[in-house]
Amino acid sequence: MDGWVVRGIKTGIKTTRYPEAQETRAGVSPGLPVFGSQSDSESTVDICPTQALSVIDGGIAVDYRRCIHCFRCVRTGDVAPLAWQSGYEWAANSPVEPDLGTTMDRKAFARSLQVLVVDGGDCGACLSEIAQLSNPYYNMHRLGFFITPTPRIADVLLLVGPVTDQMRVAIKKAYDAMPAPKRVVAAGVCALSGGVFGPSFSVGSGAADVVPVDVLVPGCPPPPLALLHGLLVAVQRKPPVAITSPAKLAEQTEVFR
Amino acid sequence: MTLANLLAEADLRWPGNIRVCRETSRHTRGCEIECSTEAVPEFCGWLYSERGYSFASMIVEEHESQWDLRYVWYGNSEDGIVHVVTRQPLAEQTFPTLIGHVHAIDWSEREVEDLFGLVFKGHPRLGDFVLHDDRWNRDVTPMRHGTDASAPLLRCLAEREWRPLLVLEAPGAFAMPIGPVYSGVAESALFLLETQGEDVVRCVPRLFYKYRGIEKIAEGKPIAHALLLAERCNGTSAFAHGLAFCQAAEAICAVEAPGRAKGLRVLLAELERFRHHTAAIREICEATGLVVGTSQAAILEEELLSLSCAFTGHRYLFGLNTIGGLSRDFEPGHCLQLLETLHDILRRLKQVEKMLRYSNSFLDRIEEVGIVSPGDAREFGLVGPIARGSGISRDLRKLQPYSGYDGFTFDVPSEGEGDGYARLRILFAEAEQSVRIMEQVVSALPGGTVCAGPVQVSPGAALGWAEAPRGAAFHWLRIGGDSMVARYHLATPSFLNWNGFHLAAEHFAFQDFPIIMATFGLSVAESDR
Amino acid sequence: MTLDGAMFGLFFVLCCAGMLLAIVLPQQRNAFGLACTASLAAIAISCLSIRVLLSGHGLQIPLWTIPELGTLTLSLDRLSALFVLSAGIVFLAASAFSAGYMERYLGHYSLRSFSILFYALFLSVVLVLIAADVLSFLIVWEAMAIFSYFLVNYEHEREENIRAGWLMLALGEVGSISATLALLLLAHRAHSLSFSEIRAASALVQPGMRWAIFLLSFMGFGVKAGLIPFSVWLSRAHPAAPANVSAVLSGVILNLGVYGIVRVNIDFLPVTMPGPGLTALIVGSATALMGILYATVENDLKTMLAHSSIENMGIITAALGAGFVFVASGHRVLASIAFVAALYHMLNHSVYKALLFLGAGTVDMRVGMRNMDLLGGLIRALPWTGLFFLVGALAISALPPFNGFVSEWLILQSLLRSVELGSTAIGAVFAFCAAALALTAGLAITCFVRAFAMTFLGMPRSQQVDAASEARRSMTIPMGALAAACLALGITPTYVIPVLDRALAPYAVSGATQALVPAFFRAASSGLPPNFVSEFHDLGAQVGKGLLPISGLVVLHRGGERNPVVFAMSTPYTLVVLIFLLSISFAAVRFYLARGRKLVIKEPWDGGLQRLLPEMTYTATGFSSPVSVIFHAVLHPTAIEESRETIYEHFRTAIRRGSHKEPHILERLLFQPSVWSAIAIGNLCARMHNGRLNVYVTYVLIALLAVLLLT
Repeated sequence: MDGWVVRGIKTGIKTTRYPEAQETRAGVSPGLPVFGSQSDSESTVDICPTQALSVIDGGIAVDYRRCIHCFRCVRTGDVAPLAWQSGYEWAANSPVEPDLGTTMDRKAFARSLQVLVVDGGDCGACLSEIAQLSNPYYNMHRLGFFITPTPRIADVLLLVGPVTDQMRVAIKKAYDAMPAPKRVVAAGVCALSGGVFGPSFSVGSGAADVVPVDVLVPGCPPPPLALLHGLLVAVQRKPPVAITSPAKLAEQTEVFR
Repeated sequence: MTLANLLAEADLRWPGNIRVCRETSRHTRGCEIECSTEAVPEFCGWLYSERGYSFASMIVEEHESQWDLRYVWYGNSEDGIVHVVTRQPLAEQTFPTLIGHVHAIDWSEREVEDLFGLVFKGHPRLGDFVLHDDRWNRDVTPMRHGTDASAPLLRCLAEREWRPLLVLEAPGAFAMPIGPVYSGVAESALFLLETQGEDVVRCVPRLFYKYRGIEKIAEGKPIAHALLLAERCNGTSAFAHGLAFCQAAEAICAVEAPGRAKGLRVLLAELERFRHHTAAIREICEATGLVVGTSQAAILEEELLSLSCAFTGHRYLFGLNTIGGLSRDFEPGHCLQLLETLHDILRRLKQVEKMLRYSNSFLDRIEEVGIVSPGDAREFGLVGPIARGSGISRDLRKLQPYSGYDGFTFDVPSEGEGDGYARLRILFAEAEQSVRIMEQVVSALPGGTVCAGPVQVSPGAALGWAEAPRGAAFHWLRIGGDSMVARYHLATPSFLNWNGFHLAAEHFAFQDFPIIMATFGLSVAESDR
Repeated sequence: MTLDGAMFGLFFVLCCAGMLLAIVLPQQRNAFGLACTASLAAIAISCLSIRVLLSGHGLQIPLWTIPELGTLTLSLDRLSALFVLSAGIVFLAASAFSAGYMERYLGHYSLRSFSILFYALFLSVVLVLIAADVLSFLIVWEAMAIFSYFLVNYEHEREENIRAGWLMLALGEVGSISATLALLLLAHRAHSLSFSEIRAASALVQPGMRWAIFLLSFMGFGVKAGLIPFSVWLSRAHPAAPANVSAVLSGVILNLGVYGIVRVNIDFLPVTMPGPGLTALIVGSATALMGILYATVENDLKTMLAHSSIENMGIITAALGAGFVFVASGHRVLASIAFVAALYHMLNHSVYKALLFLGAGTVDMRVGMRNMDLLGGLIRALPWTGLFFLVGALAISALPPFNGFVSEWLILQSLLRSVELGSTAIGAVFAFCAAALALTAGLAITCFVRAFAMTFLGMPRSQQVDAASEARRSMTIPMGALAAACLALGITPTYVIPVLDRALAPYAVSGATQALVPAFFRAASSGLPPNFVSEFHDLGAQVGKGLLPISGLVVLHRGGERNPVVFAMSTPYTLVVLIFLLSISFAAVRFYLARGRKLVIKEPWDGGLQRLLPEMTYTATGFSSPVSVIFHAVLHPTAIEESRETIYEHFRTAIRRGSHKEPHILERLLFQPSVWSAIAIGNLCARMHNGRLNVYVTYVLIALLAVLLLT
C-alpha cells in the first residue's frame, strides 16, 4: 500500500488552474469553427453534413448546436478552410428561457453541487469526457461538483445523448425525482439537436424533447473543460457565451429540423 | 483446408443444395456460397464446429422480390471469409433457426425478428429484444423498406406492461433490478439479477435502451454521411469503425488507399487501441476502489487524449478517415514526437502494471472472479480481449490482415484462466504490442499522398472489417443505383460479447457485479447502435 | 370469607358459568360470550393477584383431605401472584381478541368446544400456579397439558397440526414424568406431600440428591419451557394453534415451566453449589442462540415467533442460572438482581409475545397467509395492526423506552458482575454466555426488522395482500392495550423492580431494590456517597421529587469493589428526550428548514424502470440469507439441490432449487440418531419373535430356571 502513496506523491500536481486561469496545455480541446467571411460560401455551407453553417451578411455563420467536429469545413481540399477557435468555454444559456437570473436560486447552488449524469443514448465519447472530470487533470471535486447516482439529492441533471425513444420514460422519471431547485445541462451536440442521428423513428431531437433545458454545452464530444464551463454557467460562477457565432443568431434561426 | 477443398466437400455432403456464386474481396480469399434454406443450419453448423470458422455476422437484405440472408464466417487467411447466402421470396417470412448448431447466432436472430419481422422457427426466445414490449407494438418492423425512418413511428397508444421472464423457481427468489439509470457515469442498460439473496443465480442484461437505429438512418444517405454514422456508433472506437466502413466503401468503389494512408491508418488505429485499453484499465481500478491506481491510469488516459488532440485535432480521432484514405497528413517530426511521448506513457503504464501485480487487495477482487471458460467463450462466439483472456486468440489483424497489417510484426497475447485478472493482463499486453506496431509504422512510413483523390461512387456491396479495440467489427455496405446507401449493417464486437456476459456474472456475489462489468469493458452504445 | 377469597371464588364461578354459557349459546354468539366472560374472569384474577402482590397477604384455601396423601391445598403467595398476573393479562387480551378472531372458524369447527376448552385451560393454568401440594399440582398439571393439547389440535383437519399436538403431548409427558420424579424425591425426603413441609425439610437433602433433584426438575420443567434439547415441539405446536391460543401458549404456558424451575430451586431447595447454576446458564444461553437463529431464517410469521419464544425462555433461564451461581457463592444481592431480571423478562415476554402473536393472527385472518415472502405493504391496509406489531417488534428487540430494554439491560448487567465471584473458570463461562446473549440480541433485531419490514412495508408481493382490510376494533383494541402495557412496563422499572423484589423476599434473596433503585431522594439514608449524589443531582435525577414516590425514575447499577462505577438507566427520561427530540426535529423541519416549500409526494426512485414490480423487491429469504450463509453449518448441512432445465443447452427455462426444509439441528444430532438406534435395537430384539414353537418353549424353560435360581 505504501508504494501507491509514494507513487502518488511523486506524480505531483497535475490539476489545471481553470477557472482561475485559462488552461494552455496542448490538446485539451478540439476547438470550434467561428464566424468568418469567405469567398465561396455556398459550397462550404453545403459541405457541412448537419447544416450547422449558414450564409449571412458578411460571411458564414456557425450554429454550435449542430457542429459535430467532422472537420470537413477545414479539411476538404476544394474549399477554403473556416476560421477556427481553439478555446473551450462554449456553454450557453438555453434560448428558450434566456433570463436565468430571476429563476435561479443562487444560494441553493452556492456551495457543493450534486450532478446526476443520465445517458440518453450517447455514443460513449461524451460519457468518456464526463468520466475525465474526476481525473487529476480536471478534478471537478475541487470546485465542489460531485457526481451522484441518485436523483433524490441531485441538483443538476447532466444529459447526454440524443434521447432515444426507449430512454424517455427513465429520463422523465429521473427529472421528476429530483427535488427543486434543479437545473438541466444538455451536453454534446446530440443532446442539443439530435446530432447526426435525430430526429428519426427511434430518436428525438435532443434533451429539450423530454425535459426543460437550462444550459447548452456544444461539442462532439465537449471536452472536459467545456463541461466544467457548462457546470459553472449552471451555477452562475461563469458567464455564458452565445450558442452561435456570431451571437444573436439564435433568435433568427428556427428550432431544429 | 483450402477453399476449393471446402467447396468440394460441402457439395458432397449436401448435394444439390450448395452453389458457389463468386469469389469475394480482391484482397483476401473468400467466396459467396448460395445455399438452400433447409440446408443452411447444418451447413453453417458444419463450418462452425468442424471447419473451425468463427461467426462474424448475419445480414438481412430486403430486395424487390426476395429476402437475402447472409451468414458471414471467417477463419484464417487460408480459410478466408465465407458468405453463406440463402434466398426466399418476400412472402415467405419463416426461416429455420441455427440456434441448435451455432449458439453465437442467438442475438442476431432475435434482432432480425424484431426489426424485420422474420420468424426463426425453433428459436425459443424471440420478441422483446431491440424493440421493447412496453414501448413498441409487436407488429412494427422499422427496417422494412416501407417504413419511413425520419418520422416518429406510431408505437403504443397506452403503455403496456412488461414482465421480465424470470427463470429461478426457489423460495424467496427475486430479481434485483440495476438500471437503466444506476451509477455515477454509466451507460443505460437494465440488468436483472435473479437471486435468492446471496449469490447471483442468473443475470441477463436487457439492452437496447440506447437503440438509435443507425442502420435505418443510413439508408438513402450518401456514403460520406454514412461514414459519420459509422464513426459515431461508438465514440471510443470511432477510428476503427470508420476504418472498417471505409474499407467496405473502397472495395465497392474499387479504390485503394495509398501506402502512406494505410500506414497512418495503422498508426492511428493502434493509438486508439492504446488509449482505449488505458481507459479500460482505469475503469477496472475504479470498480475495485483502488483510488491511486485509478488516478494513475486516468492521468495516462488524459495524456493520450491530449496527445491525440494535439496530433490529429480531435481527442477521439473523429473526422480522420475518409473514403480513399485520410483527410489530413502528418509531418514526420510530429510522428517522431508522438512516438517519444508514447514510449514515456508506456513506461509509466508498465509501472502501474507492476504495482497492480503486487496489490493483494486489488487482485483478490478480480482473480477468479467473472470466469468465462474457453468452451463457453467459443460456444458464445466471444471476440476481442475478452475471448483472448479465455484462451481464444483470434485477432482480425492476423487472421484477415487489412490496411497493411501483414507487414508488421506483433504478438497476439492469450491467457487461459478466463477470469478478470486474465483479461486485465491481456489489456496491458496488447497496449505494449500497440506501441510496438506504432514504432514499426513510423520507422517505415512511405511518402506520397494520403488520399486517393475524389471517389467515383458505383453500386455494389462489400464487407469491410477491422479489429476494433473491443474485438472484431464487420461492416456490410450496399450502395444502390442512386449512389446512396441501400443497406448498411454493423456487426460490432460489443454486440457479439454482451451475449456472453451472463456467463461471467452468474454464481458470484452482488458486490462483484460492477467489477465483472468493468473487466468485460463492453460498450452498450456499440451494441445497441 | 375475605375479599381475596371472594375474588377467587368469583373467578371460579365466572369460568364455570362461561362453560355453561358456551354450551347454551348458539355458535355465532359463542365467540362474543367467550370474550365477555373470559375477560371478566381475567380481570378478576388479575385484580386478585395485584392485591396479593402489593399487600403481601397470601391466600390459603384448603380443599379435601385424602387419607394417607394429605390435604389438597391451594395457596397464592407473592411469587404465584406474579405469574398469575402475567397469565391474567395475556388471557384478558386473548379473550377480548377472540370476539373477532373466532369468526374465521365459524362453520368449520365447533366454537362451543373451543370456548369450553379455553375456560378449562384458564382454570387449570391458574390452579397449577396456586397448587400447594404435590398431588393437586400433578393433577392440574396433567389437566393443563391435556387441555392445551386439545386447543393446539383445534384445526384438527390439517395433518401437520395433529402431529404437532401429538409431539407436544408426548414430550410434555416426558417432562411431566421427570418433574414428578423430582417432586416425589422431595416429598419422600419430607415425608409429606405438602409444599410447606417440603420447604421446611429442604436442609436435610444431601448434595447428590440435590443434583438429582435439580437435574430432574430442570429437565422436566425445561421441556415445558422449551429449553434445548427438548424444544422441538414448540416450533411446531405454537403455529398450529389458533392465534389467541398461541398467545396463551407462548405468554402463559411457557411461564409455567419457569414457575416450576423457580419453585423447586429457589423456594423448596435453594441451590448450594455452583454446578446447577452453570448448567442452567449454559443451557439457557444455548437455547437463546438456537432459538433466534432459527427465527431469523424462518419465513412463516407464527413459526418465527415460536422460535423467538424459545430464545426468550433461554434468556430467562440464563438469568436464573446466573442467579443460582450467585446464591451458591453467597452473593445474595447479586442473586436477587439476577432473579428480578429473570422475572421481569418473563413478565415482559408474556406481554410482547402475546401482542406479536395476536398481530400475526390478525394478518393471517385478514390476508389469508402467513408466509413473509408473499406478504408486503400491509401497513396501508392494516395500519393499526402494523403500528402495534411495530411496538411489539421494538419491545422484543430490546429498544428503549420499551420493556424489553429494561429486562435485557438488567440481565446483561448482572452477568457482567461475575467478576466478583473470583473464580476464573466460572468467570469464563459467564463471559462466554454473556457474549452469546449479546449475539442473540443482535440477531433478534435482524429477525424483527425483517418480520416487520417484509410483512408491513414495501410492495405487496401477492394478490391476496391487495384485497386485505383492517380488522375490527375488537381485535385491534386488545393489541393496543398490550402495546400500551409494553410502554408502561418499560417506563416504570423503578416501580416494578421493588414489586418483584418483594415477591422473592421470602426466599432469602432480596436486596435488588436497594441495589438498583435506591431511594436517593432521601440521600442521607441511601448509603450513597455524597459527591455521587450531588453529581446525580446535577444530571437531573431529582426531577419529579415532589411528585413521585421515593424511587424516582432512574435505575442504578453499581459495579463492585473492583469496578466502582455506576451505570444508570432511565427509560422515562429516554422517552421524554425522545419525544423532545422528535418534536424539535419535526418543528425545525416543518417551520424552518422547509418553510415556503411545498411538500410533494412522489414515487420511489427505482432506477428509471417503467414500473417497479413486486418480483424485483427484496424477499424475506433474501434479507436473512447472509445469516443463513454464516451459520451454514448449523442450518444447512446438506447441499442445496439445484436442477436446471435448458433448451438447446444454453437457454435456461427453469432453475429449481430445493425448497424442503432442513430438520432442526437438534433433530439431526439428537433425535434422529436416538430414534434410529432405538428402532435398530428394537429390530434386534424383535428377532426373538421368530415364530418357531420350540424357541418359545426354550424361552419358557429359561425363565423357569431363572426364577428357581433366584428364589
